[in-house]
Amino acid sequence: MPRDQTRTIRLILNGQKRTLRVDPADTLLEALRAASYTSVKYGCGTGDCGACTVLIDGEPTHSCQIRAVEVDGHEVFTVEGLAPFPARRLDDLHPIQSAFAETGAIQCGYCTPAQILTAKALLHRNPDPTRDEIRSALSGVLCRCTGYVKIIQAVERAAALLRDEGVCPFRHAAATLPGDQSLADLLAERNLIAGDWREPRTPLVISPPAMARLVVVGESESKVDGIKLAAGTPAFTDDVRMEGMLYGALLTSPHAHARIRSIDAREAAALEGVHAVLTHEDIPRVKYASGGQSFPQPPPYDQVCLDDKVRHVGDRVAVVAAASPRLARRALRLIEVDYEVLPHVLDAEEARGSDPPVIHDEQDTEGIYDASRNTVHRIEAAEGDRQEQWRRADHIFEREYRTSQQQHAHIEPHACITYWDEDGRLVVRTSTQVPFHIRRMLAPLLGLSEKEIRVIKPRIGGGFGNKQEMILEDLCAHLTIATGRPVRMMYTRHEEFTSSRSRHPTVQRYRVGVTNDMEVVATELDLLGDTGAYGTHGLTVNMVAGQKGLTLYNSPYSAFRCDVVYTNKPTAGAFRGYGAMQTHFGIETLMSEIASEMGWDVVEFKRRNWIKDGELLVMATALGEGREGFEQRIRSNGLAECVRVGLEATQWYEKRRKLNHASAVNATDGCIEPLRRGIGMSLMAHGSGIAGLDMAAATIRMNDDGSFVLLVGAADLGTGSDTILAQIAAEELGVAVDDILVHSSDTDFTPFDKGAYASSTTYVSGNAVRKAAIKAAARIRKHGAAMLGVELRGSRDAGERDGTRQEEVGDVPTTGLEDIELHGGSVRFPDGRRVTLEQIALSSLHQQNQHQIVASASHLSYDSPPPFGAQFVEVAVDTETGQVTVERVLMTVDAGRVINPITASGQVEGGIAQGLGFALCEEMVYDVDGRLLNPRLGPYHVYKADEMPDIDVIFVQTDEPTGPYGAKSVAELPIDGVAPAIADAIHDATGIWLREVPFTPERVWRALRART
Amino acid sequence: MLPSFELLMPETLPEALEMLAGYAPDAMPLAGGTNLVPDLRGGKRRPGVLVNVHGLDALQYIGRQDRYVVMGAGVSLADVLESELIGAHGRVLQEAARVFANPLIRNRATVGGNLGNASPAADTVPPLLVLDAELKLASAGESRWVGLEDFFVDVCDTICRHVELITAVRWLVPPPRTFSRFRKLTLRKSTAISVVSVAVRVTLGESGRCVDAAVALGAVAPTPIRVHEAEEVLRGEALTPEVIDRATRFACTAASCIGDVRSSAAYRERVTDVLTRRLLAEAQEWSEEQWERS
Repeated sequence: MPRDQTRTIRLILNGQKRTLRVDPADTLLEALRAASYTSVKYGCGTGDCGACTVLIDGEPTHSCQIRAVEVDGHEVFTVEGLAPFPARRLDDLHPIQSAFAETGAIQCGYCTPAQILTAKALLHRNPDPTRDEIRSALSGVLCRCTGYVKIIQAVERAAALLRDEGVCPFRHAAATLPGDQSLADLLAERNLIAGDWREPRTPLVISPPAMARLVVVGESESKVDGIKLAAGTPAFTDDVRMEGMLYGALLTSPHAHARIRSIDAREAAALEGVHAVLTHEDIPRVKYASGGQSFPQPPPYDQVCLDDKVRHVGDRVAVVAAASPRLARRALRLIEVDYEVLPHVLDAEEARGSDPPVIHDEQDTEGIYDASRNTVHRIEAAEGDRQEQWRRADHIFEREYRTSQQQHAHIEPHACITYWDEDGRLVVRTSTQVPFHIRRMLAPLLGLSEKEIRVIKPRIGGGFGNKQEMILEDLCAHLTIATGRPVRMMYTRHEEFTSSRSRHPTVQRYRVGVTNDMEVVATELDLLGDTGAYGTHGLTVNMVAGQKGLTLYNSPYSAFRCDVVYTNKPTAGAFRGYGAMQTHFGIETLMSEIASEMGWDVVEFKRRNWIKDGELLVMATALGEGREGFEQRIRSNGLAECVRVGLEATQWYEKRRKLNHASAVNATDGCIEPLRRGIGMSLMAHGSGIAGLDMAAATIRMNDDGSFVLLVGAADLGTGSDTILAQIAAEELGVAVDDILVHSSDTDFTPFDKGAYASSTTYVSGNAVRKAAIKAAARIRKHGAAMLGVELRGSRDAGERDGTRQEEVGDVPTTGLEDIELHGGSVRFPDGRRVTLEQIALSSLHQQNQHQIVASASHLSYDSPPPFGAQFVEVAVDTETGQVTVERVLMTVDAGRVINPITASGQVEGGIAQGLGFALCEEMVYDVDGRLLNPRLGPYHVYKADEMPDIDVIFVQTDEPTGPYGAKSVAELPIDGVAPAIADAIHDATGIWLREVPFTPERVWRALRART
Repeated sequence: MLPSFELLMPETLPEALEMLAGYAPDAMPLAGGTNLVPDLRGGKRRPGVLVNVHGLDALQYIGRQDRYVVMGAGVSLADVLESELIGAHGRVLQEAARVFANPLIRNRATVGGNLGNASPAADTVPPLLVLDAELKLASAGESRWVGLEDFFVDVCDTICRHVELITAVRWLVPPPRTFSRFRKLTLRKSTAISVVSVAVRVTLGESGRCVDAAVALGAVAPTPIRVHEAEEVLRGEALTPEVIDRATRFACTAASCIGDVRSSAAYRERVTDVLTRRLLAEAQEWSEEQWERS
């Protein structure tokens, strides 16, 4: 074997002559990142995701696919070349970058540099591209967050900017209904009825007349982190390099089920440059569950860091720390493992059948319902009078629905760097949604106390639930403890598929009783949830599936029975939609089926039965989050308005009447057009945070210049939560968003927050921020009053809400705290005098009654108000091949008051894109030995820019009394309704019902064939 | 991260061929790398030496020589898509290039690489099969032209010897009144491997009947295949529904369909049927337009 040797290459890098010393085996991606061009990202290593795109001689190219030596003599361009460092304001950026920042095209920002470079190459070649040309040009770069809607709008805007055409500020459209315009006129004016995108359509926000307009909340503010992400600034976990850092790598199981007889790691450990090899023999056996949830986490604790048994292909076997990633991988190949291969089971029904292979036969796991039948949980709950309600039913419908295993496919893989700091404390820099849970969960596994651990969440490249798990942190920390050195671990894309988490596959048997008057009187759901090799999130996902799958139609009798079972497949976990989206597919499709079979208008049937304002959620008490829940009453409900607006915007009844599906099938004789179109709809309800359990806190501190630092434990993983939290603080403090400096999150410096999951950040963390801001504002008012010698009414301090009340004596001053306004960076008194916040800051810090204006607040809610929504989709079905093309999606959303319409609509569009994948193409497929057949972003299909339908988002605002300014959640809701809406549309087009996702062409074709 | 190998960077084609000869059988040519690099990473191929032929000037041309369209094997799919000459005399290949992977991969991937990789689902193959293309295989000091149909042996296996490199592809300029089209069914729009791909070429005679025809399928057998039985049916006939039906049935028979992660065998056969039938129906519509125009 010839020996490697480094070589010098000369190239023009971002317009400058550079020489780089590279190893011939280095990809251009590795060489550029080693030379600190960290805007170029690793996403897959196989040319499927495009995150590593650079321009070579002007053409976008995957830098992971070519060797650095090949660019010798060529021109290479990265995003670092577009704008000077540091980019501080929009004007510092290239027009393409500023367009991305302004339009909300950036969510997590991990793929942003690649999208920007691809756009640059396109616009250089074609300064005025059509929307289809943009979609096609961007189709080589995956985005998992945005649904591409705003990326395409950003490219259009950038094209206009580069052509020196004027552009308007990018903001939403607002309307009041009922108001001076009819709904039909409003929709027509916004070009929403045609469903034909002639120009970029921004979201429409419809408000009731009584809803007061606010200053910062409700505005389409640009994301507070947009500029740095557009500039490709090193902000992600893996963008830093510590002195002496080692690289960790994980050896995974090739078998679905096996016992490890022995491991011989001597040869690997002896390899020069290898600093540690750890196996189950080296790490204390401490039981835990990897899901990041509040204390105490739901049982069972069925995992250990490294075990002497493996339970799926891809399960943990050993870890190595070495001087380079390549060396670490080489060392893994030298570890010899003697496996005793055991029989395995992949199917959930078989796993709980008679005499199955027992996956968790260890003695030290407590809390498994029936280990001998791999049944980790059995959940049973019922409300209402069973006999009475079934007796009322005139018709009973029973159907079975199946959902598949979906992978999160966030473009930034799990990444973690651990090191000892100068005080001998362990620092964990990690791509996580749950920094505080990670610290608490790590401590016992490492034998450290919590105070000895600091978790830092830098910028996150998407998570969707997969980073609500402790996936790498414990192993990385063990390697730092073993070596004393900083250690970095990062999953490959293959490992993301086989060794992270995924969506729980389900089998749902619904039984619904209806009366002749369209009333749903009884609903029973029998659910089989497949949690894979470990039970993390297995209890809570499936309880949520039951609760949400029985809530929307809130039957007088509702019953849930569920088995959660182990299989020898990669572990399922938290994933946007969290059980609710699986059962939404079942119940919404079944409701549409019932209406169709009974000859009822589907909208009317659902309207008669959907949960109304003031009603209690029947299953909320019985099915909480892994325990009993709290009584929940609907206090805001925009469902009726969502449906009304959606019907009008899609011209539902005209399109639906075009139906003639009797002749749709068997169209091969050429007489009947094989392409058939249909329209479908679905409704959805979700929650906002976990009632009575999950808490968030915030601290606001005033700076010398009257700006503020907002410290939150909330974890922005690309959603824009930093931005909306800043808007909430800015609203209360009367300043602009850029006067709020957001820090999220660091367990040493930011207050506790449960983390980013369960659609909780806007609702729970937002309330905490608002409370803290109200307190800080009261302190500002008081100090301002003191500065001007204004005596305040001694009544209860409206801001402090501390319960104390001073007795009023003597002359009552006329000014109260509530009379003092904070607005435009000043404090304004009733007599017209003003003090600026900067004056108050300087005075309070340096001159008068010196003190730090700072306030903290916590928030916990016993409510979890559901946001509501309706989705309308139009599809084309090729009845000869079974291919389904979604041509348009419209979603109307009641998320309470929308804090930021651009970021909120980005959540909706991104959720819909993931829902399209779930409905039509995403599925983890295994061979008989439990090996994943599609562990790549090529054969595992994530929607690309050129496949996305037109998406429109209309917010129908309501005022949720328990939400911050009336807000509810928005993040998970949109994914819930996509599959059932498409199923309904396919039925409208062809007359067949699909009851198993994804609706692949072959499944659709088989269903069509079965009907003939 | 890539496994270790030696990467040789020849500056001329003769130099590259010398290197291949010198290190055979441990050496492989590396072109755009869009297939080979993931294969290296996944351990599917482990050559000790890679000879980089990407960007060699001698492999980068598209032109007309006598009655042939000739192109170097290093031409990228993006080049194919932009070539007016190929648009005029090899539309079927351009149609395949248009739906080949995605724009980034089209910038890198080469025609020679796509042929040499010998995937049963390679998009350029059915079009080149219906064009009766030939490949030039060169080694140090000699070269030969071989018919594309004779080139493939099995999945990822060809008659190309270790010392040989595909250096050029050529086909006869098709006669006027020739229809050639490509269709594939994938599980999504871009960057998707075909479930089935079909290429059809039909040349009309003075009478409006079909004087020559070619049908090729991808992803239905260990190698892409020509369906000569279907071609026999078409030759000399007008494209009536009955003729189309018979030809399509031969296409389905020829497809020794395999089930895999993308599709079952039965569905592959179904899609072969639909795509072949649709392309021939399109040819028939086109032939009517030609007839009306003449």
